[in-house]
Amino acid sequence: MSTLLDIQDLRLSFKGLRGITDVLHGISLSIAAGERVALVGESGSGKSVIARIVLGLLQETRSARVSGKVGFDGAEINTMRPRDRAKLRGTEMSMIFQDPTSSLNPTFTIGNQFAEVMRRRDPKLSRAACDARAIEMLTEVSIPNPDRILENYPFQLSGGMNQRVMIAMALVNHPKLLLADEPGTALDVSVQAQTLRLMHDLVEKHGTAVLFISHNLGVVREFADRVYVIYRGNIVEEGPTASVFHNPGHAYTRALMDAVPRITGAGLPEVPEVSDAFLAPMVRHDRGAA
Amino acid sequence: MSLLTVDNLSKSFSVAGGMVHAVRDISFAVERGECLAVVGESGSGKTTLANMLLGILSPTSGSIRFDGTELPAKRRASHRRAIQFVQQNPLSSLNAKRSIGASVRLGLDTYQIGERAQRWAKVEDALEEVGLPREMRHRAPSALSGGQRQRVGIARALACDPELVVLDEPTSALDVLVQARVLRLLNDLRTRKKLTYIFITHDLAVVRNVADRVAVFKSGQLVELGETAQIFTAPKHPYTRSLIGAVPVVDDAELDLRNRLAKGT
Ligand SMILES: Nc1ncnc2c1ncn2[C@@H]1O[C@H](COP(=O)(O)OP(=O)(O)OP(=O)(O)O)[C@@H](O)[C@H]1O
Ligand SMILES: Nc1ncnc2c1ncn2[C@@H]1O[C@H](COP(=O)(O)OP(=O)(O)OP(=O)(O)O)[C@@H](O)[C@H]1O
Ligand SMILES: [Mg+2]
Ligand SMILES: [Mg+2]
Repeated sequence: MSTLLDIQDLRLSFKGLRGITDVLHGISLSIAAGERVALVGESGSGKSVIARIVLGLLQETRSARVSGKVGFDGAEINTMRPRDRAKLRGTEMSMIFQDPTSSLNPTFTIGNQFAEVMRRRDPKLSRAACDARAIEMLTEVSIPNPDRILENYPFQLSGGMNQRVMIAMALVNHPKLLLADEPGTALDVSVQAQTLRLMHDLVEKHGTAVLFISHNLGVVREFADRVYVIYRGNIVEEGPTASVFHNPGHAYTRALMDAVPRITGAGLPEVPEVSDAFLAPMVRHDRGAA
Repeated sequence: MSLLTVDNLSKSFSVAGGMVHAVRDISFAVERGECLAVVGESGSGKTTLANMLLGILSPTSGSIRFDGTELPAKRRASHRRAIQFVQQNPLSSLNAKRSIGASVRLGLDTYQIGERAQRWAKVEDALEEVGLPREMRHRAPSALSGGQRQRVGIARALACDPELVVLDEPTSALDVLVQARVLRLLNDLRTRKKLTYIFITHDLAVVRNVADRVAVFKSGQLVELGETAQIFTAPKHPYTRSLIGAVPVVDDAELDLRNRLAKGT
């Protein structure tokens, strides 16, 4: 399998009024073409900023300092010209954001936003062609009455509907890489399972690679081929999904697994104090081991 | 007397191409000090219900009584303070131009809570209680992670000394360790300050471990309401059963329970 995304020694800091905050301390992470990779870990540990660096967005933020290598499909994102990076977004790579209601544009209808996205790949598409394709995609993510939805504004839809709209929009141009930041959180579990299965089938069919960011370890277990665990800006564990779940090697990963609430209802899990063991070196699992 | 009583509540919206009946003839009561979970289909009317409880939307028909009095469409400040909201979308619910500290402080100023000179300290206490560093109050919402913003939403609501808190997916953006910590904190505060929660979420494993009772919504209707243990071991409505049968799980005991419910035994 060829490597699609190849991140090496990625570092990020923010410059603010109160000095410099280091956020990423040398992240290495790779994704093969068509591979589904999950990134899980602490809130605030740097998952979303990694996605925004891959998209080339943080490189254009003045307060952010990014160093290291971000190889995508043979090119180097960090040194690319801003307009070349912009051309990749929404075509070769696309993103599902954590907060769908605020990442959809509140002043345009869903139909308008679909057309805008599709015309990034093919500027000559007619509106009728865009609408037809949008309805097809919305049906695929099980949105009822998709033709009505095209005329709606985001505020007229529920949180979960907006999230499915985002998923449909992100996949409409058949990107090589999908960055999915918490794609299922606003969905009920039935629709979530269905949406993830669908996302799974779509990415499999088109050979789309996925970086899947989620706090829901149950969902990760069902969706991803491989998992990276991040803690305070460092990768602490990496391996095939089954192997990491059956045999978590790092203290932080173990604490995380133990803290998952269970539907069998043992009460809220005891939460260990942050321990020095969480800062132990990275644990790597062999490929193919389970 | 129940703290909150909802009678025959309905809400419809007119949209391009017709009407949406978001909430249809719902009745239930919430006791003081309890945690009632509201679960159900995406788009089933949970947030719409929350918006009506908060006075953000007015019902098409039906009534809402709080502590014995019927709530008017236009709420008085005392009621707005007493019923607080933690919103589903932390980013869009925080003012982008204000520091997060100023957002938390706004409630304290509006409802004249505490001495003016002590309010910044109170803001920092509120942030600290949800596990955020005190100095974070100077930051803009855009400089926070999703989970950090979500905790600001919780801090802001709790700082106002409410009686009833409507929490719409309050921990969905948190890792499970921080989530467990925040849920424990919410539980402690509930006991300590005699708070009442309406907890809207899709995370049934969380519901199992925090709620006293569960209300299940589907297509704007309340299809089942029961004690948490009963809902999870002997759900009556087929929709409840299918919902629990779809929960992503991590261990074998959970898998057993899920399979048993899926088979309907
Ligand atoms: N513009 C910014 N200025 C300063 N700090 C920032 C900025 N953006 C993000 N950060 C900080 O960088 C860290 C990583 O943020 P990021 O959004 O990647 O976290 P995350 O892992 O996605 O967390 P969550 O699971 O809560 O979404 C956080 O501690 C956050 O406060
Ligand atoms: N302002 C509005 N205008 C028109 N329709 C609306 C409006 N707000 C909500 N709706 C519709 O009402 C229904 C219920 O929406 P609501 O947001 O209450 O669902 P929800 O149960 O909170 O869903 P989710 O779990 O996805 O957040 C949906 O069909 C939605 O499209
Ligand atoms: Mg994030
Ligand atoms: Mg909602």
